[in-house]
Amino acid sequence: MITLGLQEKNTLLAEVNKRSGANVLECYQCGKCVSTCPVSQYMDFPPREIMQLIKLGQKETVYMANSTWFCLTCSACSGRCPRQIEIPAVMEAIRHIAIEENYVNNTKKVKSIRKFHNIFLDMIKLYGRSYELRLMAEHNIRTRDLFKDMNLAPVALLKGKIPLLVKPVKSIKAIRRMFKLADKLEKKHQ
Amino acid sequence: MKKLTYFPGCSAHGTSEEFEKTVRMVMQRLGVQLEDIPDWNCCGATSAHTMSESLAYALPLRNLVLAEKLDNTTMAIPCASCYQRMKVTKIHMDENPELAKEINSTIIEEGTYQGKVAIKSMLQYCYEDVGLEAIKAQVTKSLAGMKLACYYGCLLTRPKAVTQFDSPEYPMSMDHIVEALGAKATDFDYKTECCGASFSISNSEVVLTLTSKILEMAKESGAHAIVVACPLCQSNLDMRQPGAEKHSGKKFDLPIFYFTQLMALAFGMPEKDLMFNKNIIPVEKALANIGKIEPEPEKSKKTKKAVEAESEVA
Repeated sequence: MITLGLQEKNTLLAEVNKRSGANVLECYQCGKCVSTCPVSQYMDFPPREIMQLIKLGQKETVYMANSTWFCLTCSACSGRCPRQIEIPAVMEAIRHIAIEENYVNNTKKVKSIRKFHNIFLDMIKLYGRSYELRLMAEHNIRTRDLFKDMNLAPVALLKGKIPLLVKPVKSIKAIRRMFKLADKLEKKHQ
Repeated sequence: MKKLTYFPGCSAHGTSEEFEKTVRMVMQRLGVQLEDIPDWNCCGATSAHTMSESLAYALPLRNLVLAEKLDNTTMAIPCASCYQRMKVTKIHMDENPELAKEINSTIIEEGTYQGKVAIKSMLQYCYEDVGLEAIKAQVTKSLAGMKLACYYGCLLTRPKAVTQFDSPEYPMSMDHIVEALGAKATDFDYKTECCGASFSISNSEVVLTLTSKILEMAKESGAHAIVVACPLCQSNLDMRQPGAEKHSGKKFDLPIFYFTQLMALAFGMPEKDLMFNKNIIPVEKALANIGKIEPEPEKSKKTKKAVEAESEVA
């Protein structure tokens, strides 16, 4: 059978299924996920197409797509999927593999999203907690979009919506050690 | 007094200070003593699980381990995102002891995870553990006259396997709570649509598009205001509302309340303590509807969907 032949060679399918705990082969392309997804219009390939590309073993296309970066993990798709596929878990698996294997989508939007997450994690490493003001400022600096949301700043600061300082975790050493060890675990699994 | 382990989350010290404060006020009135997890850390939110699987488990696991040092069987979390990360971690650790051991090795000096504390969102705790009758019993200033659209967003009820709470399509728990306070909950179709969450900073155009739709539908439902139970939903709908109005060319003028702010108001707590001054969209016009009761229409017109969802919850 052709499909069996495809499956044997399809390392993408095997890897995504293994990491996500989902079975992408179950997808029968109904497209309910696409109509449900709040951000499918921004994706290179909406969830239904990503499923099909995985089945076809199109590694490069899947890893380079902006789709997994746009996924908000809101789980609207999986809640309505008639095959009960955990689509957000599939998206996450793709993203993790893409990061590990250095598939870098350098479009402006994806870069902005990736930078946000990296800055957020840097904040936690530094303070053990998120520091919204620095997060916003640093994101503006690193995306070279200095005046983004400047109209929000006065009202947010005046109303005390965004505090000027952060209250760090006391045992920050434990947090930094956790980051180091988690990174080691991540490398071990690759 | 009943004791409850409590995880405030980072936004409690920042954008959602009013949620944090009113949660504490309301819980004390309801006879629940909150015990904070000692030296808690950020749950990692969207960023940790986006970038690294191990970190996505390690950050919440430290909180879960620290929570076990307190002697309570349940913990409640006000933020929907923290709630989701902590619960996902708990489920995976409980299901897979080997993984639990491995992740635990990154925070071993804090202790060993045993999995003995149940996790609930603050909304779920109010609805299931406190209960509507106990809430009703504290109401001294009914909110009758107010029409409210209850907005749940994604993470409080989805995925069902994680949250095991209310309906993922048309939840009613918050609607029942605001009705226990005397207000009227409107039939609001967009109550579980996503607000764009963490894209608030990195991709605000998406947030403006999504919140515009949510605000428009809430307005159409006849609501004077929207009620939320998540800090990110609140700031996306409130702080970005002027932007959403510009984006869509429509006027919404819908203040966004935390459900605990309205509970405290209905419990007769002083308005100056409820931090309405933090709301970007002014609240006065919406609150002025309290006491203005319209004559009831002949038959209550509930949509088929609402009735179905209600029976599902029951």
